[in-house]
Amino acid sequence: MDGAHDLGGQQGFGPIEVDSVSEPFNEEWEGREWGMAQCALTPELTIDWWRHCRELILPEDYLTRPYLDSWAQTDFATYIEAGWISLEEADHRGSLIEVDEPLDLPPTVSVEDILKDERNHAVRYHKVVESKPLFSEGQNIVTNKEGVAGHTRLPRYVRGIKGAINAYHGTHVFPDLSAQGKTTHQHLYSVVFACADLWPETHNSKDKVFLDLWESYLTEA
Amino acid sequence: MTNYDAQEVVRIHQELRERLPRDPASRVEALEKILTEKGLVDPQSIDAWVEAYQDHIGPKRGAHVVAKAWNDTGFKRRLMADAPAAIDELGYLGRATGHLKVVENTTTVHNLVVCTLCSCYPFSILGMAPAWYKVAAYRSRAVRDPRGVLEEFGVEISNDIEVRVWDSTAELRYLVLPQRPDGTEHFDEDALANLVTRNSMIGTDRDLKVTALGEG
Repeated sequence: MDGAHDLGGQQGFGPIEVDSVSEPFNEEWEGREWGMAQCALTPELTIDWWRHCRELILPEDYLTRPYLDSWAQTDFATYIEAGWISLEEADHRGSLIEVDEPLDLPPTVSVEDILKDERNHAVRYHKVVESKPLFSEGQNIVTNKEGVAGHTRLPRYVRGIKGAINAYHGTHVFPDLSAQGKTTHQHLYSVVFACADLWPETHNSKDKVFLDLWESYLTEA
Repeated sequence: MTNYDAQEVVRIHQELRERLPRDPASRVEALEKILTEKGLVDPQSIDAWVEAYQDHIGPKRGAHVVAKAWNDTGFKRRLMADAPAAIDELGYLGRATGHLKVVENTTTVHNLVVCTLCSCYPFSILGMAPAWYKVAAYRSRAVRDPRGVLEEFGVEISNDIEVRVWDSTAELRYLVLPQRPDGTEHFDEDALANLVTRNSMIGTDRDLKVTALGEG
């Protein structure tokens, strides 16, 4: 999706507020949102669908509202889309609707529970598949020129650009389809691009940009 | 049930614009209220999550990983080869670090991490991402003008050093292993860890300062 979220290389945002206070929650609501995102019951969805719903926030809001506020907006949207919350409930104009799926809120967690359980949340997205990777380390590739209408993780700034395979990561869940609720796996590579090939003003630079890209984003160069 | 209907979500976002209060605190409060009323969240569990990331899970973990890698060549080898397994030895494996990768700074290479498409971050070893990491100014420029970005952080990179920017486009997350400062040969792990800044593990800091007590 060619949305406002695809920020790589866009210009005009001005200097970075490098000293902005951020330890670790600036304001109380940020902590509440973070906590909710960790422990609330949600309809079954994929991380890529959730990301796509965040990308679909109106551009003026996406670019100007605080980060964790966009999480809250995305949570609202995913609950409403799944029928777990109604729009009328969102602003308390309607009475509560029943959630149509079996719910079982787990018992209250303590900090100790969280710390003990944390390693079980190191989600792995890879899977061993039979097919062999098309590309090998050092091989030259070119990325797809066209974007896709839905969610994708091939940013605009590296489309139609020549690069090289830096490393092979195994097969990972393919986000473009996962955002549609379909779990498939595809070979994933670390791909390296020369800054000089990406930006007109950096033709003398030897700096590099590395992205993790799925096989169907790439063609042999 | 999630229908994966993107058009519907666009419509919902538009509706929510009219229906929800504008200030973030009230919006999040509204969300918590509905979820609580519907039995979808337990406010006390939220409290625990806030405390966990306020007081326990943060950049001190990453600093410990770095200090151990400086001090223990066996650990460093394991960390570079399989970072999730290595941080699991220290009890730090968790959210967003199941596919962690460590990239090492040297005298000729400087690494910088960004997520241009959202704001991916290795939570279980660095905690909450700093505000600057999540704003458009950083996400847009880190891949286009990394040296300019670093200058804003007070970091000058000479021309003989290659800058490598890591854009976190998949589920891999990156941790920069900064260079061990000179004059720290006799520092123990705790003293070394005190020198490691959060920004140095993202790449917006490079030359770590040595103080007598190792308080960077």
